[in-house]
Amino acid sequence: MSLRDLLGLVLLNLNRMRSRVVMTAMGVVVGTAAIVVLISLASGLQASTVESFEDFGSLNQITVFSSARMGGDSSAEGLTADALDDLASIDGVVAITPYESLNGGSLSYNRLSGFASIYGIDPDVIENMDFVMTEGDDNIGNYTVIVGSDVGSRFSEDGDSGGGGGFGPMMMMGGQDDSTDTEDAIDLMGKTITLELTRRDDDGDEETHKVRLRVGGVIESSGGQEDYNLYMSIDDVEDLTAWKNGERPDWEDEGYSQAIVIAEQDAEITLEVTDEIENRGYFAMSTTSIVEALNSTFMIIEAVLGGVASIALFVAAIGIANTMIMSVLERTREVGLMKAVGATNRDVLSVFLTEAAFIGLIGGVVGIILGIVGAQIIDVFAASYLASSGSDITSVVVTPLWLPIGAMIFSVLIGLGAGIYPAFRAVQLDPVMALKYE
Amino acid sequence: MTFIDVTGLKRHFMMGDTLVRALDGVDLSVEEGEFLCLMGPSGSGKSTLLNMLGGLDTPDEGTVIVDGQEISALDANGLAVYRQKKVGFIFQSFNLITSMTAIQNVEFPMIFSGVAPDQRRARAARLLTALGLGDRMDHKPTELSGGQQQRVAIARGLVNQPVIMFCDEPTGNLDSKTGMEILDMLAGLNQNGQTLVVVTHDPRVADYATRTVQMLDGLIVSDNGNGHKQ
Repeated sequence: MSLRDLLGLVLLNLNRMRSRVVMTAMGVVVGTAAIVVLISLASGLQASTVESFEDFGSLNQITVFSSARMGGDSSAEGLTADALDDLASIDGVVAITPYESLNGGSLSYNRLSGFASIYGIDPDVIENMDFVMTEGDDNIGNYTVIVGSDVGSRFSEDGDSGGGGGFGPMMMMGGQDDSTDTEDAIDLMGKTITLELTRRDDDGDEETHKVRLRVGGVIESSGGQEDYNLYMSIDDVEDLTAWKNGERPDWEDEGYSQAIVIAEQDAEITLEVTDEIENRGYFAMSTTSIVEALNSTFMIIEAVLGGVASIALFVAAIGIANTMIMSVLERTREVGLMKAVGATNRDVLSVFLTEAAFIGLIGGVVGIILGIVGAQIIDVFAASYLASSGSDITSVVVTPLWLPIGAMIFSVLIGLGAGIYPAFRAVQLDPVMALKYE
Repeated sequence: MTFIDVTGLKRHFMMGDTLVRALDGVDLSVEEGEFLCLMGPSGSGKSTLLNMLGGLDTPDEGTVIVDGQEISALDANGLAVYRQKKVGFIFQSFNLITSMTAIQNVEFPMIFSGVAPDQRRARAARLLTALGLGDRMDHKPTELSGGQQQRVAIARGLVNQPVIMFCDEPTGNLDSKTGMEILDMLAGLNQNGQTLVVVTHDPRVADYATRTVQMLDGLIVSDNGNGHKQ
């Protein structure tokens, strides 16, 4: 029997029992639509979450802490100069820089006071950090600094910078105050701002130390924490820390608190380097590894949601099997006739399996269309709700291409699977009895 | 040359607790071109014998050879091919597919023998026209009379050019006048060389047949020989 004849026969048979086919396919419609909607929502959530994490930093940068500082193995080596050299030798590492924060300073410009998170990095490595400059260049050193795009907006007359303290050095996920009035933002490019440090001397009297910082460049906004950072040379930070603590820190021998490793621009390599750094006894964290972990979490969520929706498809499969068993019973004489005129068992099997698969296919196609439309409707409502609540997430629904394709294949397979038992019942009919069946 | 050769054919089955000897050792040979009428009361085994010859049933013992091929040794697939290539069936209740038109019913067997669609249609149309149904080809079986339905069934039986046709009570569901028309048609086919085996209760069939075999309790009890029509 040719494929064309098979399809012709199957369509004729389905048309004959179309109301039953429609109702049976409805179960598949519900199942596939549920799968498409739920997984689209999960994928959308994944996409917007991952996107917002990617804003936090360049994907090829790995922040390294010594384990001892992270409360881990205290015997592990600190981030000494030797250790940094060692890490720099890992395959895939482009550059490494110490990363030290300077706490307790307050900034001022004319009569305005402001604040920023101040970090010291290696001036030679800064070019590898791929800062995109909106103004100036990325040269730092000798109290020439570069600032994030939002630092200028943090200067105000009443100095609400909170006791002169900067932000803590630890990354804060989200929670940034976005209410800054950008109209008052000052363009710091080329300006000289004053950094004031305070310490108490042995008698408990307060001493202050002022240094003038020249802003040599402004970094383009990344939408993340980094927009509030101020970068200066690690040597400058060391000098200022020395004044503040009354003694010069010996970071090269005792270890820096953090370092930033810049890996090659490749997610795989970044992950491998992150693993290797951890193997060497440090705590390493990269946006890529966070994204990776998020992605695998979302995969589990998608699998669970898909599994729940598949229950509907399983019920639909029972419906298909039921319809097909009825159909075989009603068409017993016809099956007998098919055999009498020379249909092989394979022909009989093909006819009934294809009919069942078609019910799955019809339900699958309609369900996928409904699912995509439904997901888009949800997206419109969710997006307008998010917009009204001030979020910059514009879409909560992503339907990857594999989803409709996979759902279609799945629904056809469900139909085929449900058709196996009824089709074998048809094959096993004795033609003599079948032809006499009333 | 012996066209059908049946030797020692037995078919027993259980009906409830009783053993039914539907065929209890049948020997029969049929020549090419014969119009064989199988008669006997209900339960005599004539339908069972027809099913054996047509490859719809398999014997417990004995051999069936048709056109040089041992049917009783074929597997399910071999039997399907045998029915497809060599056999045409006509049934008492026509067994037309009600959702198909007359011409689609006639085309149906050729779907399985792999005849190309245009060729299929032409052959079905030619046969229906020859059987006087040229203007009824696109009618559904429910729109046809009993005689017309049986003629569609005859066309369907002939469409794969069978070497033998098996008819199970072909006049059983028809009034006597229409029954005669169908018998005339079968006799006409036989005169053109078509070998026919007809199972019937209808004594008129014997008038058309070239040979009549009587069965009782699974055995052949009389056979008017290989003679031609009286």
